[in-house]
Amino acid sequence: MTENPPTGTNLYKPYVMRVADMRDETVDVRTLRLEFANADEGKAFEFKAGQFGLYSVFGEGEAAFCIASSPTRKGHIECTFRQAGRVTRALRELNVGDAMGFRGPYGNVFPIDDWKGKSLLFVAGGIALPPLRCLIWNCLDRRDEFKDVTILYGARTVGDLVYKHELAEWNGRSDVKLIQTVDPGGETPDWAGKIGFVPTVLEESNPKADGTIAVVCGPPIMIKFTMPVLEKAGFAPENVFTTLENRMKCGLGKCGRCNVGPVYVCKEGPVFTLAQLKGLPAEF
Amino acid sequence: MTKPKGITTDNLRKLPAALAAKGYAVFAPVKERDLVLFTEVRDGARMHLDEINTRKSIKEFFFPSSECVLKYSRTENGFETHDPSTASRKAVIIGARGCDAASLAAMDALFTWDYNDAFYLERRKNTTVVSIACNRADETCFCTSVGGDPHSTTGSDIVLSATEAGYMAEVLTEKGAQLVAAAGELFNDEPGAPKPYAHLPKKFDLEKVKPWLEKNFESTLWDEISYKCLACGVCTYLCPNCHCFDIQDEATRSCGVRVKNWDGCQFPLFTKHTSGHNPRPTQGARWRQRIEHKFRYYVDKFGCVSCVGCGRCIRHCPVNMNIADHLRRIAENDVPAK
Repeated sequence: MTENPPTGTNLYKPYVMRVADMRDETVDVRTLRLEFANADEGKAFEFKAGQFGLYSVFGEGEAAFCIASSPTRKGHIECTFRQAGRVTRALRELNVGDAMGFRGPYGNVFPIDDWKGKSLLFVAGGIALPPLRCLIWNCLDRRDEFKDVTILYGARTVGDLVYKHELAEWNGRSDVKLIQTVDPGGETPDWAGKIGFVPTVLEESNPKADGTIAVVCGPPIMIKFTMPVLEKAGFAPENVFTTLENRMKCGLGKCGRCNVGPVYVCKEGPVFTLAQLKGLPAEF
Repeated sequence: MTKPKGITTDNLRKLPAALAAKGYAVFAPVKERDLVLFTEVRDGARMHLDEINTRKSIKEFFFPSSECVLKYSRTENGFETHDPSTASRKAVIIGARGCDAASLAAMDALFTWDYNDAFYLERRKNTTVVSIACNRADETCFCTSVGGDPHSTTGSDIVLSATEAGYMAEVLTEKGAQLVAAAGELFNDEPGAPKPYAHLPKKFDLEKVKPWLEKNFESTLWDEISYKCLACGVCTYLCPNCHCFDIQDEATRSCGVRVKNWDGCQFPLFTKHTSGHNPRPTQGARWRQRIEHKFRYYVDKFGCVSCVGCGRCIRHCPVNMNIADHLRRIAENDVPAK
């Protein structure tokens, strides 16, 4: 359930944020750490893993991304984006200390509480790791509630892997199994991970469906080939989660842009189970 | 409901001036050359009330084609944001048709779904709708096919029905009563007998539409009925119930605004991702969205169709797309063979 953001009765008014830090993940992907310009708003701000917001550069417009930081880490939020169009180009031109806007949180949430006692399998590709990264850190911050935690992450090339330092951190943890892969031809001479497409590597890893929740996020082509692998391994569609991307604008169910079949990705999503996805027309 | 009142033809012509004197902004259909549009009037003689319907619907009184939703300005250490004023002036629309008034029910449902859009709601609160029932319809009207009626009262604060002496006035709401009170002596207690309302047989069986839509998402019908569509957007902009919008920034270096602008699912760019991927790449897919959204998804979500049968989309489509005929074919399962 979503609540009205506390920025008053103007639905379209963003919080004013300040860029506190930035990190280039790849040549065209950047992470911004944002703090609330109004400290009281920052203290009051809450969200849950799975939710997204509309990030804006004043004068250029708004774009929808997930909230990439975990809700367990207070005082800031992070977004990770690839430079691709007008707003993302303007976001990249921001410097530390610059002001920008954020509206949110919107959308539904990963039902983490329902997953207690289960094993978790995260499967992500390329720029789709950010929405799962929020969830992964949220789960790791409550690590003892879950059994095994496996993360399978792949990208086209080594250069396209995002959150490289966090991947190293997850790799170093004894309570997380991390499998990294790059597409054939995307490896560097010193690459120590696997080489192969994510669905192929997933199949080779022989995932166990029993008592496991799978969360998948990636480009449409990766999702298309990953879901059958999970189904073949015995995962029930209710136990496979994904988060959908779609062109969005208002984020709160009014502008109509993200309408897919009977749902609005911004309201009944962006988190969907595979069972729910099967009921939607292929319009996303 | 109180007993109906009456108003003579002459007094209706005096109504705009009387209401303007009490602080209302009065809008009524005015004909200029061939175009009949809602225009602000004080001189009631300008009102043109005989047209089947105005070119544009009353939608823009509640959901303007472009509306500022945020102002921002650069400061020494960043930006500050301001709310634009949502207070709209007290307004009355005289001469809406029952179809336009009925459209407000579906719009209300959307603009209050979980989040209340103050911009829309403030205008709703401050606007009184005086509709005039229809004594005739044209070949593109189809209100009766979607649950409407030439003498519909849904969404109206006052409904006027033509009589020998002028109009019978059914005063339906508190806002309507306030308007009657503000009009001084112009309303009387002799409603008279209403002239016959338009007779409009149904063009299709609405009950059969949604079940067909639920089973035929992949039908060959969509490409066939939409092949001539230009995606010009006329149907969307003139429709009282279409409400899709875009949010854009317009700014100088020091200050700017964020505006909500009408948009439409018939435009190819509407759903196109920056990556180039377009979930609805063909006009068939987009036309399908129009019909599925209005006649199936909206019903599932809000319990009503997002169409009042005003016929503007048919009347003004440059290539004669006819949604009523499409719906008839859907209801009759008159689909091209594969």
